[in-house]
Amino acid sequence: MQTLREFTRKTKRGNILKIVREHYLRDDIGCGSDLCKYCFQNEVYQLTSKHEIASSLFKFPHYLVLDTNVVLDQIDVLEEDVLHNVIVLTTVLNEVKHKSSSIYKRFNEIIHDRTRNFYVFVNEHHKDTYADRDPGETANDRNDRAIRMATKWYDTHLETSQSSKEFEQSGMANTRVVLLTDDAGNRAKAEAEGILVASASEYVKSLEDFPLLLDKLSHKTFDNEKQALPQYPAHLSMKQVLEGLRLKKLLQGAFQASRENYLEGSVNVETYEKGILIQGRECLNRAVDGDLVAVELLPESEWSAPSEIVLEEKNVYADDVPSEERAEEEKDMLKQVQQAAAAASAERTPTGRIVGIVRRKWRQYCGILQPSLIENTNRHIFVPADRKIPRIRIETRQAAKLQNQRIIVTIDTWPRNSRYPQGHFVRSLGPLGDMATENEVILLEHDVPHCKFSEEVLSFLPKLPWSITAEDYAKRVDLRELDICSVDPPGCTDIDDALHCRELPNGNFEVGVHIADVSHFIRPGNALDKEAAARGTTVYLVGKRIDMVPELLSSNLCSLVGGVERFAFSCVWEVDKEANVIDKRFHKSVIKSKRAMTYEEAQVLIDDATQQSEIAKSLRHLNRLAKILKKRRMDNGALVLASPEIRFQVDSETHEPLEVEAKQMRETNSMVEEFMLLANITVAEHIAAEFTECAVLRRHPKPPPTNFDPLVKAARYQGFQVDTETGLVLSHSLDKCVKEDNPYFNTMIRILTTRCMMQAVYFISGSLQKEEFFHYGLAAPIYTHFTSPIRRYSDIMVHRLLAASIGADSTYAQLLERKSNEELCHNLNYRHKMAQYAARASVGLNTHLFFRGKEEDEEGYVLFVRKNALQVLIPKYGLEGTLYLKTDKDGKDGVERTKSEVIFTFNEEDHTQRCGNVVFHSFDPVSVRLSLDSSNVQHEKLVFRLVKPYIKGFSVETSTDADIPPTKKTKKDTKKKN
Amino acid sequence: MAYVALSEAEKTFILHGVEEDFRCDGRSRRDYRPMELETGLVSNASGSARLRLANTDILVGIKTEIDVPDPLTPEFGKLEFFVDCSANATPEFEGRGGSDLAQELVLALENAYESPLAFDYRTLCLIPGQQCWKLYIDILILECGGNLHDAVSLAAKAALHNTKLPRVTASLLDAGVTDLIISDNPYDCTRLTIDTVPLLVTVCKIGDYCLVDPSAEEEACSTVSIVVSVSMRNGEAFLSGSHMTGGGAMHRDTMRNCLNLGLSIGEQLNTLLAKVLKQEEERVGPKRPKTVGFLK
Repeated sequence: MQTLREFTRKTKRGNILKIVREHYLRDDIGCGSDLCKYCFQNEVYQLTSKHEIASSLFKFPHYLVLDTNVVLDQIDVLEEDVLHNVIVLTTVLNEVKHKSSSIYKRFNEIIHDRTRNFYVFVNEHHKDTYADRDPGETANDRNDRAIRMATKWYDTHLETSQSSKEFEQSGMANTRVVLLTDDAGNRAKAEAEGILVASASEYVKSLEDFPLLLDKLSHKTFDNEKQALPQYPAHLSMKQVLEGLRLKKLLQGAFQASRENYLEGSVNVETYEKGILIQGRECLNRAVDGDLVAVELLPESEWSAPSEIVLEEKNVYADDVPSEERAEEEKDMLKQVQQAAAAASAERTPTGRIVGIVRRKWRQYCGILQPSLIENTNRHIFVPADRKIPRIRIETRQAAKLQNQRIIVTIDTWPRNSRYPQGHFVRSLGPLGDMATENEVILLEHDVPHCKFSEEVLSFLPKLPWSITAEDYAKRVDLRELDICSVDPPGCTDIDDALHCRELPNGNFEVGVHIADVSHFIRPGNALDKEAAARGTTVYLVGKRIDMVPELLSSNLCSLVGGVERFAFSCVWEVDKEANVIDKRFHKSVIKSKRAMTYEEAQVLIDDATQQSEIAKSLRHLNRLAKILKKRRMDNGALVLASPEIRFQVDSETHEPLEVEAKQMRETNSMVEEFMLLANITVAEHIAAEFTECAVLRRHPKPPPTNFDPLVKAARYQGFQVDTETGLVLSHSLDKCVKEDNPYFNTMIRILTTRCMMQAVYFISGSLQKEEFFHYGLAAPIYTHFTSPIRRYSDIMVHRLLAASIGADSTYAQLLERKSNEELCHNLNYRHKMAQYAARASVGLNTHLFFRGKEEDEEGYVLFVRKNALQVLIPKYGLEGTLYLKTDKDGKDGVERTKSEVIFTFNEEDHTQRCGNVVFHSFDPVSVRLSLDSSNVQHEKLVFRLVKPYIKGFSVETSTDADIPPTKKTKKDTKKKN
Repeated sequence: MAYVALSEAEKTFILHGVEEDFRCDGRSRRDYRPMELETGLVSNASGSARLRLANTDILVGIKTEIDVPDPLTPEFGKLEFFVDCSANATPEFEGRGGSDLAQELVLALENAYESPLAFDYRTLCLIPGQQCWKLYIDILILECGGNLHDAVSLAAKAALHNTKLPRVTASLLDAGVTDLIISDNPYDCTRLTIDTVPLLVTVCKIGDYCLVDPSAEEEACSTVSIVVSVSMRNGEAFLSGSHMTGGGAMHRDTMRNCLNLGLSIGEQLNTLLAKVLKQEEERVGPKRPKTVGFLK
């Protein structure tokens, strides 16, 4: 038998479809009762006469049929092992599933518990109990009717079974069927139809044997309204936005979500230095990080301050309606923040709300699928790796497969009535925690182009075997006889610089810097060139390198490996003994490096006085000259900055980090660096003079004075005066920051200084005034990048300019065009920034892998003292982390506070934290225990716990590890209002 | 048009019959052959009708879709006709054989429905300038027994009458774009008013006389016919379009006579159709228990 079910449905694209489905009705669905003599029972009886329950309301054996509202409201009662012999109709089951996934899951567990005798009756497909929807009937009415029909059917069905002679002889009481419903309308109708009916509370009260069950009765009715209501205010139409922007009522800017607090963000608007603060779900109004949005400024009375709270969204499930409670919670939080802001009016910043989206900047996001409550559901929540991105609702049928994978998802829409944006699954990157997958995530998240080079790109590579022709020799200066060598870090295969130095008859020195001639191989405008320009830079991850140019060039033809003839672009100076440049010249050349050395090898060669080879001699000269150059540079006000850098020893098989070491600085490092700087500056001067409009240069702007505030303050607490007026003064005052008892102090001060700096950027000479060319960090009036063309595209551009200026190569239109070069610089700046972030993320990832399953005690230093935490730096790993303390402010914040807890007092005056007689100052040495908190798969984090100085009840017990005091903190625990 | 083989004698016989106002099947020149009509028989379509006019068999299904109105007529919905000449009707329709005929029928219908006075496109509008209904009227010719134009237009009108558009409420204005919400009750529908929807009447000239509802044989004897589309407004019949088919020419007076004949016949047809549709609906009710047509 078959019938048709009709319904209308809206498609994703907004079309409305009429859908007609065939619905099959069967006559072989069993009733599941052991009383029945007629039904074909396809499984063991679920409804048995064994469980009889004494009810004062129904004084005979009975089965129960539950209405949907009873299941939803009284799930606690149902979970008690009291009610047996319950008929669960599929109508009810579907309704429950639709309304609440969590209750559905609990209900399902009861059903699967065989001892509970819950029988699922497929009434929707039973020929006698299927209720076709009548015109004018709501879906709800129809379901109620189906429930009544099924109840009635059961009752009569059992009656016929029990009316036989045999049964009467057995002397058993007749079993009836009782409907439990809390819906008054349904109840009235059921009574009219002659069905035994009771409300849940009446029935539970009538159970004399289980008086305690009454306590479990819920009096709350399940909220029936399933979403539909808009949760966000509407966006303005494009026309209104443009009008508003024109009339200056609205402001336009890029939205930046906060990493710490999902309910906060800011919009960068030109006229406001700090950007406009956006707080609260409604004000954020569906903006996603990066979107170009239109903001309306709130009146000044409603301005707020950034909350400084770390707030992470709790898990939610795809089918659940955001509960009232949570909405309340969010509102409370917002209120508190605003009140706090009102109190501290000094910190208030312009606050606004987002009223329209000018342009979405949605991209593809990496992340993981959140495990869902219900099995076999298609709707899932995706949690992006980037915390600035909201969770995304997706539909997928392969959730089980994707559960432990990193996947890519893209956003499609974000309708007003949906808490989260809706998107779809794009592809899977691979299993979670796998090195290749994690690297892929880093590359994707930092927008690093890393696909294989295309055939077209590869077609522009020189054909192998490649050799130097006579023509090449004729065009280039032959420097093969010179004792040229290269000095690089160990394992370096893309050697792009080599050096030589020889004494001239007149007592001066000839110093040459030879840079790989990449521009010879990469001709402007071809696919290879375009690809390199798009990539901008080579990206170095731990144990992996993403090349800017194909490997044939980067590790072979361009690389100035020892003992092989290679093309180079040479910059040769004549300098006197005091390292003053007397003459300089540039030319393309053919060189044959005598030896490719590591820094260490070079250092040994210099130090070993017995070595008298030409290379050793020239290295010694170079080293001496470099020292003079460095001193001169320092005297000019160049800064010595420090940033903790580390290297990982990576297992060649598993690519997992084996050991960590901080990078060592040797004299030879600085030697190579000095000559590279000299070459860069010399070339910069030359091309800037030759091409006033279109030279590619690099500048490092002087940071605004306010940037130095944290540094100055930190030093003042230690009794040092840091002057930041000019680079020179700053450099001198940094030199003075030395503490006898704390050898690492100076390095830390320099680390702090580094953080005050601005980003150095590429620019085109014609776009700025000459005074702005200044490179602050190097104290050079002009600077560019010339020495690493294998791994930086900017250097290739500089090579071309230089070659054109000396007539070694032809110019082409684009080379001299300011506009296109400016765009190129823009891209390079972006790529460089991303490459840096990616490298940092890779180090972070490896640090985590390194600490997986490990616990280590390490020496560290307090970098900052915060209101609720200490910022600790571990020099050995170049690692910085937060050691959370709890404060004693009125005890408002500590929900899980225990009495024994240690109390820290923060002193605003000198920025210290005190606990008993232990005081933490900035730069104090501490000992901390590092371990990895893997409770959140997506964001594993290193946890810092104090070891030394020992504070009872707070520090880690060094003797007994098993008994760790409650100091393990996640960020959530330290939610604070101040 | 489907080819019918007729000898000269047969043609003369038909011609004489028309002259005598007593056609081969006993009809007068103003009579139609018997018709059968059933609506709502295709459950998957939003509206459907099947019309059988003697041997001519037409099935019409209407599908609905949401579309964006044309910028020039922001308050109008859209109609699209599609005629499929099934090879069941005659072997000549096989492949692309029926496409010329189909094209002609589509043009005739589009022409008849073109005027907003004949079909009120405003009823298909949801949000002016943003969203409207687009109705796809798919016409399937199952058998050819002459007088396709009339049969097709009758079936189309009946199907339009049967069409149920889900009730849509607009809400959630976001960034100037409105979101539509459909009622979850499949019986909660809007209907189209079809009072003004035009019918086509083919007036066929055989010899010196004009007649309506030509059978396939009579069509073979005719040199020229005029298809008149008749729309009713306030109980009065209006001409909403006309076109001529066949190779012959027509005198001005004859043409006027033809148009007048078409108009008066059209008026009668319209009233009859409205009556029949009303009767059927009363008999069947909102929920069709069972279809009686050939599809069941």
